Amino acid sequence: MITRQFGSEVRWMLRRPRTIIGLFGLVLVPIIISFGIWTAGEGSDGPPGLGAILQGNGMVVPIFTLFLSLNLLLPLVASIWAADGLAGEAQHGTLRGLLVAPVSRVRLLFVKLFGLTAMSLFAVTLMAVVGIIAGTAFLGTNGMMTLSGTTLTTGEGLLRIALFIILVTFQMVSIGAVALAVSATTEHPLVVQAATMTTIIVFQVLGQFSSLDWLHPFLITTGFPGLIDVMRDPIPTGQIWDSTLLAGCYLLIGTGLAAMRLITKDS
Amino acid sequence: MTTSTSAPVTTEKATVVAARTKGLRKEYGSTVAVDRVDLELPEGAVLGMLGPNGSGKTTTIRMLLGLVRPTQGEIELLGKPLPDGAEQALPHVGALVEGPGFHPFLSGRENLIRCAAFEPLLEKRNIKQAVEDALERVGLAQAAHRRYRGYSLGMKQRLGLAAALLVPRKLVVLDEPTNGLDPAGTREIRKIIAELHAAGSTVLVSSHLLSEVEATCTHVAVLHRGTVVAQGELTELLQAGGSALQVITPDVEIALSALRSAKISGRPLGDGLRVELAGTSAPQVIETLVKAGVGIYEATRWKTGLEELFARLTEAEEAERGMSAVDTLDGGPR
Repeated sequence: MITRQFGSEVRWMLRRPRTIIGLFGLVLVPIIISFGIWTAGEGSDGPPGLGAILQGNGMVVPIFTLFLSLNLLLPLVASIWAADGLAGEAQHGTLRGLLVAPVSRVRLLFVKLFGLTAMSLFAVTLMAVVGIIAGTAFLGTNGMMTLSGTTLTTGEGLLRIALFIILVTFQMVSIGAVALAVSATTEHPLVVQAATMTTIIVFQVLGQFSSLDWLHPFLITTGFPGLIDVMRDPIPTGQIWDSTLLAGCYLLIGTGLAAMRLITKDS
Repeated sequence: MTTSTSAPVTTEKATVVAARTKGLRKEYGSTVAVDRVDLELPEGAVLGMLGPNGSGKTTTIRMLLGLVRPTQGEIELLGKPLPDGAEQALPHVGALVEGPGFHPFLSGRENLIRCAAFEPLLEKRNIKQAVEDALERVGLAQAAHRRYRGYSLGMKQRLGLAAALLVPRKLVVLDEPTNGLDPAGTREIRKIIAELHAAGSTVLVSSHLLSEVEATCTHVAVLHRGTVVAQGELTELLQAGGSALQVITPDVEIALSALRSAKISGRPLGDGLRVELAGTSAPQVIETLVKAGVGIYEATRWKTGLEELFARLTEAEEAERGMSAVDTLDGGPR
């Protein structure tokens, strides 16, 4: 029964025109990045940090793409899915139908979380795969050069990409879970998106002020930059672990709040 | 069939009920949407829930389906207490509440398939057939591939009905099912209700269209200002509403004086007079009139229509609110 509901949920999400458009937009990012680096040509001043090793190093494109997108694009996509998941269903009157079927409210939340997770994983993986293809095509590759200056074999590089996909997906799902909690309180999907994106942007702004450094460990956005340690050799696990733990807290709190709201909700 | 687990006082005759509410109350902030609703839905009945807009019909239905938590009161649905028993009871309940709710970007069929995926009583392999059957039943088979976005109001309503009928149900709850339907569509809904009734399902229909209820229901509950002002079997309610005899005659004056001397109350009406049958009977009235030499063209029993009953029930309360004390009907509103 639950697998059937999971399947129905993912199929429903995939059928949405906005999902298709959103995925199409996501896929453009690695292509544009690859093309941009390629046209900039050898010897030019590329973007700093990770961008500096992109030239002639196509396997880094998927990582660079996801790393950039995690700041705004991926939270936006997650918030759209979370918004449609509960607020959107309430708006269309379909939430009532599900509840009367009946789907227990807790199970409904799990169905929604599953949909969010599956679609996030799909979106991130899609971006990475297109990144690998576009990066290799435009920039060529010879293994994967790390930030530490070593070069990994293609196989090792793919493993790093897979690890990064999982880490980024987890961040995305955690943001989505908090967005789901907002989604459970309203019938207006736009409110959910606005609230989520505003929060993400405000967090990033707050992260700029060193006078607020006591606050930084609590902001999910603080964990984003540390994930790039995946590109070092060997991988220092400290920051990656902290970021993931922080996201895990958001996931738990978001899910808990969403469940509490959903259980007592009048629909 | 009901397993009355928590019924300490069952002194009344044990009618088998599909649903029952006791002292239901729902507050939204400071407004009381529904108060002291004691509703009984006998098994196999077609209960018409009547009431003007805003009388609490939909709120009551939403509480019956576990969508809304009552502020106070108890609900029993198919023998299970709500909200705890919702998961056992609701699979047997089909509902169309507050208009049809579907996704505009999916076709009618795809929408139903999504609904079907969440129906606990439907096996996966039977989903396709159940969806086609439901579409056929409401006359949407031809339009099933079209997007819901482009459906007319009537088609949307039919799709909502189809979703309620995906599985054979013990109880079907239809909130304003004929909204937006043309006369032909209305007749079809009536037909479907009759079919459900014949198959032994219990049906709860809410409507503000009185003729609708009168034509299809066995039982009626009248809601007004958030509370039940009358309920029972339709025929009983109508009889209790009193009856009269309408006599078509040219000799109105003679007739009236004859009735007056026989202590029967009557008044001129149209081409004749209307005689109240309280304390007397139709043959007696006619005998009196004939003996007085009144020419009678036609005498018809005046049946209280639902419309009249409804008007009286809701107006009685209206009057009471205005003048503080006029006799009230069943229920005694606040």
